[in-house]
Amino acid sequence: MILPILGLAVGLILGYYFPFLIPIAYAKLSSVALLACLDSVFGGLRAGVNGRFANKVFISGFFINALFAAFLVYIGDHLGIDLYYVALLVFGFRIFKNLAILRRHFLKRNKAESRAE
Amino acid sequence: MNKLHRGSWSIALVCVVLGFMISMQVKATQDKRDTVSYQRVEELSDRLLAAEQERDKLKEQLLQGANGEGTASETLRMQAELVPLTGEGVIVRLDDSTKAVKTGENPNLYVIHDDDLLRVINELRAAGAEAISINGQRLTATSEIRCAGPTLSVNNVRSSAPFEIHAIGDKKSLENSLKMRGGVAETLKVWGIQLDITTSDEVYVPPYKGSFKSTYAKATEERSEKGEEK
Repeated sequence: MILPILGLAVGLILGYYFPFLIPIAYAKLSSVALLACLDSVFGGLRAGVNGRFANKVFISGFFINALFAAFLVYIGDHLGIDLYYVALLVFGFRIFKNLAILRRHFLKRNKAESRAE
Repeated sequence: MNKLHRGSWSIALVCVVLGFMISMQVKATQDKRDTVSYQRVEELSDRLLAAEQERDKLKEQLLQGANGEGTASETLRMQAELVPLTGEGVIVRLDDSTKAVKTGENPNLYVIHDDDLLRVINELRAAGAEAISINGQRLTATSEIRCAGPTLSVNNVRSSAPFEIHAIGDKKSLENSLKMRGGVAETLKVWGIQLDITTSDEVYVPPYKGSFKSTYAKATEERSEKGEEK
């Protein structure tokens, strides 16, 4: 569990000192991509606790989801369909669902451990 | 849990990317907030530009309208100093003294002041100058000539030495009015202030470019000024 947190910290620091700024025009796209990434990470965690974690699925899901989400929003912008909110809703929904599953899993495990004692 | 540990390197990698993206996003959002005021500035400057263009257009319209009204308004505009004029006259150049200031003497004496210019202007007017400008600023009935720090303010426009006074009128009498014995040119030369008079058959005097405002004065019938201050 330490490795991912360490990675997150490294990424945060890297991003903070990165000299490049996302142009405001693309802030919307990157925010959707970010949401997709968050979703992938939570999805990965959930798969891990369920014992169904697959490296390839995780990595590919992470990048392709992010790229595709941003791309869809971009297309939607050009077509006059605000897919931004759709992506927001879907990813947000999935993140909360995964969080709930994770929470239940850990609660269950705690229960099992206390019983075993 | 074992499987999760096996994938933990990839999760770590993904977390690096995620962290990177999060901090980029935070930075971008902050940047957006900062630029709101910048956008406001841009918007305001756009508006200013539009207003200025409109003003110029209206000014042009006004001038065209005034032009259309025939010779009577042309003389009026000439008297109101709104028309560029040309004719014979003099060009007077004044510059600060090149003399070294003696110790204990006031260095201000060697610098051109508003009263020096006022004397020159007064002399030129007395000699029948019909139109006068200082450094491209037309002198009107309400023009001020005043020291503004190291510069001189005419029609609320500042300029600095050297000063060039264009005056239209009889060039001989204009020149003589300045050069007469004990006159302005002589007194200024005492202090080493450079005064250079050139006569010309074609002196150009630009029009007054400012606006006319009368906040207090109102037109009224003619009457005696006596008994006004009761």
